[in-house]
Amino acid sequence: MSAVDRTRDIGEYVPAQDDDMIVCRCEEITKGEIRRAVHDGMYNVHEVRRLLRCGMGLCQGQTCARLVKSIVARELGVRSLEDATARAPMRPIEMSVFANDGGGE
Amino acid sequence: MKRYDLIVIGAGPAGLSAATEAASHGLRVAVFDENARPGGQLFKQIHKFFGSKEHKAKIRGYDIGRELLKEAESLGVEVFLNAPVIGLYAEKEVVARHADGVRHYKGDTVIVATGASENMLTFEGWTLPGVMGAGAAQTMMNINRVTPGERVLMLGSGNVGLVVGYQLIQAGCELVAIIDAAPRVGGYGVHAAKVARTGVPFYLSHTVVRAEGTDRVTGVTIGEVDASWQIIAGSEKHFDVDTICIAVGLSPSTQLLKMAGADMAEPAAGAGFLPVCSATGETSISGLYASGDVSGIEEASSAMIEGRISGVAAAGKLGFADAETVETRLNALETALSALHEGLFAPRNRGKSVPLTDEGIDNSQHLLKNGYLADDEVAKYPGVKRVSGVHPIIECTQNIPCNPCQDACPKQCIKVGANIVALPVFDETSACIGCGQCVAACSGQSIFLVNDDIGDNLASVTIPYEFLPLPEKGDVGTALDRSGTPICAATVTDVRAAKAFDHTSLLTFSVPRDEYMRARFWKKGAAV
Repeated sequence: MSAVDRTRDIGEYVPAQDDDMIVCRCEEITKGEIRRAVHDGMYNVHEVRRLLRCGMGLCQGQTCARLVKSIVARELGVRSLEDATARAPMRPIEMSVFANDGGGE
Repeated sequence: MKRYDLIVIGAGPAGLSAATEAASHGLRVAVFDENARPGGQLFKQIHKFFGSKEHKAKIRGYDIGRELLKEAESLGVEVFLNAPVIGLYAEKEVVARHADGVRHYKGDTVIVATGASENMLTFEGWTLPGVMGAGAAQTMMNINRVTPGERVLMLGSGNVGLVVGYQLIQAGCELVAIIDAAPRVGGYGVHAAKVARTGVPFYLSHTVVRAEGTDRVTGVTIGEVDASWQIIAGSEKHFDVDTICIAVGLSPSTQLLKMAGADMAEPAAGAGFLPVCSATGETSISGLYASGDVSGIEEASSAMIEGRISGVAAAGKLGFADAETVETRLNALETALSALHEGLFAPRNRGKSVPLTDEGIDNSQHLLKNGYLADDEVAKYPGVKRVSGVHPIIECTQNIPCNPCQDACPKQCIKVGANIVALPVFDETSACIGCGQCVAACSGQSIFLVNDDIGDNLASVTIPYEFLPLPEKGDVGTALDRSGTPICAATVTDVRAAKAFDHTSLLTFSVPRDEYMRARFWKKGAAV
């Protein structure tokens, strides 16, 4: 993960008309919550995800990862932004199944 | 830990091709897929593929899927279904979920062929039931045999939007419009034309303003966008629909590669991160390959070749194939792949306006703006020659990699040549017998047979027809022009359905002689 430049001035959070639009459907996170999180200091998608849980629901960000990334990038005024960290389990899995680790058998 | 020479993640076109290729060189191969059925998107593809014979052109996607599966099975490839890979670790350790628990496997080589997921777009009401990805609608129709709705708006005029739009009509839905924020149709002109002539309007430079409804979609408002993508006030249009399909591109499913630690890079700032790969798809991690859409979005035809390239590279790496065998095979595969990377839709032309075809003829702007050719420009193209008697009219006007028409004609009337993106040329000196093989063989449904004089001041037009129920000889209906506008009464004079046509029936109808160059579709009943 690349270092985050927190000295950059991205200006004040300005409320927008579509701030109440849901972006992450699984965790019901709105565009306004994501925008506010950036202005609260979450300068990349990892931090936004940890704070809000967007992309951590049932679909694991299949639908919203790209949308969240574009909102965060626009708020920061950058074109390019790293994707969130990819971790196992890559697909939602019940704990009972996950715990039944057959190893290499 | 169970060990395989090669573990392939994803049983789609790239994954199955990789597995088959590797197994043919003697590798012990396992394929994991999260779905209940193998094939990835192939079994949803009910249209005929483009390309040449070696790309399996004119074969429908599901038949290509069946062929690939049979080949994989006969070579002893183990396919694990309902087995999502949940992690890819150092030393190519693959962890898969099975019904009741997780198991660990070790691949001496691993090919990640996880494909892509659909992009979504947000607008007011986008979370209402009835808003869905075009791919989801296609799964509902072609896999689960249910229609997603009755009246549908398609957002996106790329090949996915056009192909799924056409399939919605085939499934019996009413497609009210295809819209796109871009000023030009993004997909193949022939795909657009086959939708437009059924009467579906195209709204370019338009996007969705809002989906309407309280607990489900009951309507949609679209609006025209200006150069900075803002809605132009007063340009709004409303449609009563119960379904809005979104076809605004795909994103490679690269998570496993990222997790494994493969280097990722953006081809251009903001374009999205892709694995950094060699020509054989090998990532920065030795023996770990990325193949198909996961390494960059293309068509299934390219994915199948990319899969084979990675498959043979893995065979070479592990010593199952000697350097010479690998090189010969790679050369052949790379030649086949580069043929698909030529023409108007070549990667280097992406996002560019190309004014002329390779032959120096104007690329139809009318087609790009409206989804169909203007009547007065059709004759410019080398597949269109007006002679007496029965002969084909080939309305294939863009340089796309495709040539089944050339082989289809038993009289050698049609020539594409060695360069498969060249426009087909109709040789008016050869003797067309009106067999219709070319009409059925054209994956773009852009070949029509006409006969300018069948007596009684009538002409006949034969069109490819892929809708059910099939009309019958003697049915009275209306001929539509390329825009889908009714132009005259038309009586069905012949309906041909042969096994060789592979579900493309040939519908022949008669029209007044002065209408045969305009009539391109037929609908039952009198014009309203």
